[in-house]
Amino acid sequence: MKFLKSVPIIFLLFLISCSTQVSDSVSETIYTEVEGINFDEKDKIDTSLEDKVFFDFDKSTLNNDTKKILSQYVSESKKANIIRLEGHCDERGTREYNLALGEKRAIEVKNYLIIQGVSSSKIKIISYGEEKPISFGSTESDWKQNRRVEITLF
Amino acid sequence: MKIFFIVLIYFFCLNFEAKLKIEIIKGSEDLPDIAVVPFKSSLGRKFEYKVRDLINEKLTLFGEFNSLELEKMLSFPFDEESFYRRDWELLSVDYAVFGEIYETEGNLTLYYLVADIGLKRIILRGDITGENKNIGLITKKISDRVYESITGLKGIFNTKLAYILNPEPNKYSICVSDIDGDNEEVLFSSNSPLMSPDWSPDGNKLAYVSFEKGFAEIYIQNLLTGVRETIPTLGMSKSAPVWSPDSKNLAFVISMSGNPDIYNYNLKNKKISRLTNHYGIDTEPAWSPDGKKLLFTSNRSGSPQIFEIKVSNKRIKRVTLEGSYNARSRFFPDGKNIVFVHGNNGIFHIATRNLKDRFINIVTKTTLDESPTISPNGHIVIYSTKKENQGYLAGITVDRKSKFQLPVKKGSVREPAWSPFLN
Repeated sequence: MKFLKSVPIIFLLFLISCSTQVSDSVSETIYTEVEGINFDEKDKIDTSLEDKVFFDFDKSTLNNDTKKILSQYVSESKKANIIRLEGHCDERGTREYNLALGEKRAIEVKNYLIIQGVSSSKIKIISYGEEKPISFGSTESDWKQNRRVEITLF
Repeated sequence: MKIFFIVLIYFFCLNFEAKLKIEIIKGSEDLPDIAVVPFKSSLGRKFEYKVRDLINEKLTLFGEFNSLELEKMLSFPFDEESFYRRDWELLSVDYAVFGEIYETEGNLTLYYLVADIGLKRIILRGDITGENKNIGLITKKISDRVYESITGLKGIFNTKLAYILNPEPNKYSICVSDIDGDNEEVLFSSNSPLMSPDWSPDGNKLAYVSFEKGFAEIYIQNLLTGVRETIPTLGMSKSAPVWSPDSKNLAFVISMSGNPDIYNYNLKNKKISRLTNHYGIDTEPAWSPDGKKLLFTSNRSGSPQIFEIKVSNKRIKRVTLEGSYNARSRFFPDGKNIVFVHGNNGIFHIATRNLKDRFINIVTKTTLDESPTISPNGHIVIYSTKKENQGYLAGITVDRKSKFQLPVKKGSVREPAWSPFLN
């Protein structure tokens, strides 16, 4: 019985220990600020389009499949307030170089959309390099999924 | 009540904790044999053995010596009179370390000697005094002196390692621990990526990259006060900070609309100057020990290669020519050799090179190696690699006589950064 009584306390302390951890960390993932603009993930526009485009290793060039996907975004992009482009890389190679490469990938997508008539001021880019993989393994099929630009409309 | 405490402790431990303990994977056959004798003390046998073990643990930390077991020792000398060279010649010991401890008003004075058995003489005599509670630091300093007397290299037992800990997806911590893995401290945690730790030359600050605001921003954190500051400059994406050897400048990368270039920031007058100006990727700067040059990675020639820029006239020279991927270089303290990531056919090793010749020495066998960091005495390289989806740190002495790894139980560890010599 004594033990049962202490259960809520344990639970409470567990929460405290968790919340200390949260207060140590500064940002939650709900809001992300890019170039000074806050995005509310709840305001995402669901386009039902493919939200990722993929790249070859150490390359930022767009292939024809990618261009086909991006061209479907043009009309949606013109209606949206913000187009967020997140560049990513696979784990191979060096982290800081990959940060730059992820940015080059996002820029290539941005330039394509601009040529198609999307206003450049609406497009916000960010690179996470190899820091945020979606597939955690070390095979070509994992790497393929991680070399990407994620497109989100708000 | 007991259960409650156990549960509580368990949860606190779960929060982080990497505890990097060095495990030797391979020691060379021809390592020097050392014998560390218990230090004679009036504080009792337990303490004598404890001091011995502390010194012995340090000296053997990186697998550079074979250490003689206590049971095999024929005598326990504590000064020159009680030392018989024959006792050690019989056991083929190369170096014997011994001494005694005096206690005065809570302070300890440790006298220590190193005998070179082959040379037939005492090569080091010293003493160190400190409070009893600082026995850890005292034995580190003795180990440093002993190591230097034997190898000619400054000891690195009183240095630290900074690293990024990724205990689970979307959780990132920047940690600092003693080089032997003790006293791990979490400096900062975030749900967004943390990258690129770099020590200030005085060892009091750490620069690193955090995505906490939704873009890559450089922070300088004071390790004593915990205070963090950013750099007031243009450009939303800043990365790869590196402190100049004189502490006055911080070189880093600013990307203006997708074009990363190297800049130099004067920490005193807060002025910023652009060093490289190319539409390709320029990143991963690294200062030469004299502060006159920087190495950096650029894809201006088509694939990532290492270049060198002179700070005074911004003249650029290509350094690496072989292979499709050479990046993230660092100078050895001699300013003549460099370490970097060398990739060929999608396989990435750590490599070293003398700047005067073209020959690349590949020093690792694992295939996803990155972020090499060099011990301040230039003798050991620690880097990050990966096995079974888990990132971990590994290391090698530059003479390749010893290899080791620093495994963790949970999560991934990466981007090691070795501190300078500390006081």
